[in-house]
Amino acid sequence: MRLGIVRGHVTLSPAVAAYRGRTLAILEPVTMENLRAGNGLGGGKSLVAMDELGAAEGQIVAFTEGREAANPFWPDAVPADAYCALIVDSIDIHAKTVS
Amino acid sequence: MFLARIGGTVVAAVKHPTLEGCRFLLAQRIESDRSVGAEPIVVVDWLGAGSGSIVLISTDGDIARTRLGNTTPARMVVVGILDSVQSHASARQE
Repeated sequence: MRLGIVRGHVTLSPAVAAYRGRTLAILEPVTMENLRAGNGLGGGKSLVAMDELGAAEGQIVAFTEGREAANPFWPDAVPADAYCALIVDSIDIHAKTVS
Repeated sequence: MFLARIGGTVVAAVKHPTLEGCRFLLAQRIESDRSVGAEPIVVVDWLGAGSGSIVLISTDGDIARTRLGNTTPARMVVVGILDSVQSHASARQE
């Protein structure tokens, strides 16, 4: 999983049936440099991820990519290639804590 | 699979239900020139890797699915803690 900051949400109309009622979050991946600095910046290439946890704008999530992003919807076939798996509360970087 | 250095731990109260009780570590992928990737990754650990250890990460979700069920989004898992690397003619003890 990579870390991403929630920058917003996407609404689709129309969309494939499997997307009905689902939340799509815009994530900006976070680099180690920005994470260490705790400056609220991301630095990576933005992407859209499926979110079932209700992550709010500005929160950091860890998201899965690839085939595994669709696992939570098993056995349904939902075309997901990024999925928010956890909302980060805090990260301990060696001796330093980032929240 | 690739090698990564453990750089910290990740705490998350809200997570996918299958990830309840998992230990999450922050890691940085190590390239062959020993530089580390710009973006950190979050991995699941069942082996007890500590901060600073170098681990082998598998990106195949099968281990996670076996342990956590078919619906788990977990993918990157620590599958071993590095003992030593032999590259070219030099053996290096980590």
